[in-house]
Amino acid sequence: MSELINLSLTDQILGLSDKSFSSKEITGAYLNEIKKKKSLNCFISVFEEESEEKALIADKNIAKNKARPLEGIPIAHKDIFCIKNKKTTCGSKMLSNFISPYSSEVFSKLDTAGAITIGKTNMDEFAMGSSNETSFYGNVLNPINEKLSPGGSSGGSAAAVRANLCSFATATDTGGSIRQPASFCGVTGIKPTYGRVSRWGMIAFASSLDQAGIIAKNAKDAAIALKYMSGFDQKDSTSLNEEVKDLQKEVDADQEHIIGIPKELIEKIKNDQVRDSFNNAISILEKDGAKIEEINLPHIEYSLPAYYVIAPAECSANLARYDGIRFGHRSESVSSLEDLYVNSRTEGFGREVKNRIFIGTFCLSAGYYDAFYNKALKIRNLIKGDFDEAFKKVSSIAMPTCSNSSFELGSINDPVEMYEQDIYTIPANLAGLPALSIPSGTSDEMPIGLQLIGNYLEEGRILNLANKFQKLTNFHEFK
Amino acid sequence: MKITEQDLKNISLLSKIKIDEETSDSLIKDLESILTMVNKMDELDTSNINPLTHPIENTQTLREDIEKKDIEREKLQELSKEKDSGFYLTPKVIE
Repeated sequence: MSELINLSLTDQILGLSDKSFSSKEITGAYLNEIKKKKSLNCFISVFEEESEEKALIADKNIAKNKARPLEGIPIAHKDIFCIKNKKTTCGSKMLSNFISPYSSEVFSKLDTAGAITIGKTNMDEFAMGSSNETSFYGNVLNPINEKLSPGGSSGGSAAAVRANLCSFATATDTGGSIRQPASFCGVTGIKPTYGRVSRWGMIAFASSLDQAGIIAKNAKDAAIALKYMSGFDQKDSTSLNEEVKDLQKEVDADQEHIIGIPKELIEKIKNDQVRDSFNNAISILEKDGAKIEEINLPHIEYSLPAYYVIAPAECSANLARYDGIRFGHRSESVSSLEDLYVNSRTEGFGREVKNRIFIGTFCLSAGYYDAFYNKALKIRNLIKGDFDEAFKKVSSIAMPTCSNSSFELGSINDPVEMYEQDIYTIPANLAGLPALSIPSGTSDEMPIGLQLIGNYLEEGRILNLANKFQKLTNFHEFK
Repeated sequence: MKITEQDLKNISLLSKIKIDEETSDSLIKDLESILTMVNKMDELDTSNINPLTHPIENTQTLREDIEKKDIEREKLQELSKEKDSGFYLTPKVIE
């Protein structure tokens, strides 16, 4: 049955509906593979018995012609999404005993669509990291080369898709946490427009930047999964009350594309293989009929510094809720209320999370607010303006996902060097734009990602372009 | 940018996270290196630019003010290690 796990989501849906195989078979095949590849450390929880039971129900629904759109498809959720009565750790000691009393909208939507949640994936602690090394549960290994990082923070989700441990996985992206691991693991990852997918029940890191998305085998699969995850949600006050387009149709539609290339930025790429792979990808799309336009994003180099004020500032406010009283880790060695707060937080958070809380606290403290936080918000406005201007003449913008392919686990110790992993992915978060990463070549035998950024609510357009590219190339194919 | 021992004390106090002496030197090094990177922002004159707190404006949607019982208090309080009769318990705060 191992061939079932190699199939794309599209083929799995087809095979289940024409009864070529059952959900019981496909679920069993994934559960076996998860056991076989346990050492990759992709999962924090696996729901074996429950998945098997749900597969039987799915097979009954299919037999009765009552199949829902994702009926019987085994998927994984990043362990940042709350699922009722299930442990939701966010990769942290702080939440290692947290059993959620409610479910995230992302889980509820995909569950309602018939998908089977096979487990919850490992991640950097509170989604803060670019290598998966900050997880309280240990780092994930890159399935292509186990000495290397799968990327982060959604490293467990990206590695699980690459290792054929689930059909697709949910993930989140605050500064590149879907796209960078997708790039490192040679899979397809999309972060939709801010507000397109509900944040209800998704543990907060930086609320104005956090957005849930999908990691899948290819653009077509990502389009199908994203379609069933998107939509307005009253429970999230920043949710967009806009019609959900039929991404499944749009991904295959006949669309014309004008691709914007930020030439100055491309010329500055230091890694030859990353630059060559990018130029090669663009020429493939150009030969296929896409128009190429040079664009300017004059403020983009200020994205990284602005992000490393805004994200930590929002993080320090969001993570103030972990007080040791209502939920989360509570210190045992306590003699006063102050001790309870301080000891619970000091014991519960890891080094990187603390660093970000410290930076955020500093930038928001008296005397520094204007110089750091307010300044960063003004730069955010300039960056958004750059994109607004560019999208007047192009339909999407292309740049590399990352300035390098995957690196050895434990090889980056300087925080700024690690933060530079997200140099190309952060701008889309600051502007709230949809962006995806698809494999476009290799560097030292490891995948390199091509990033496509779309205008607001134009996920369909970048997925369409990504699908075109995947029809013309085989960089995304793996067994 | 320099971070002093006093800055570190203030940050620790405000964030309610202890900073032990053994790690304070390496922490200062990390924070200084992050803030030096952040200081690149100073190259830009932003005096006439408005701050943008949120990527998408006008999204604060309101819903009908109808009482819902999605999550019961008892269920929420099960998550706390110390509670009694519907109250959360903390160490004594008044003498």
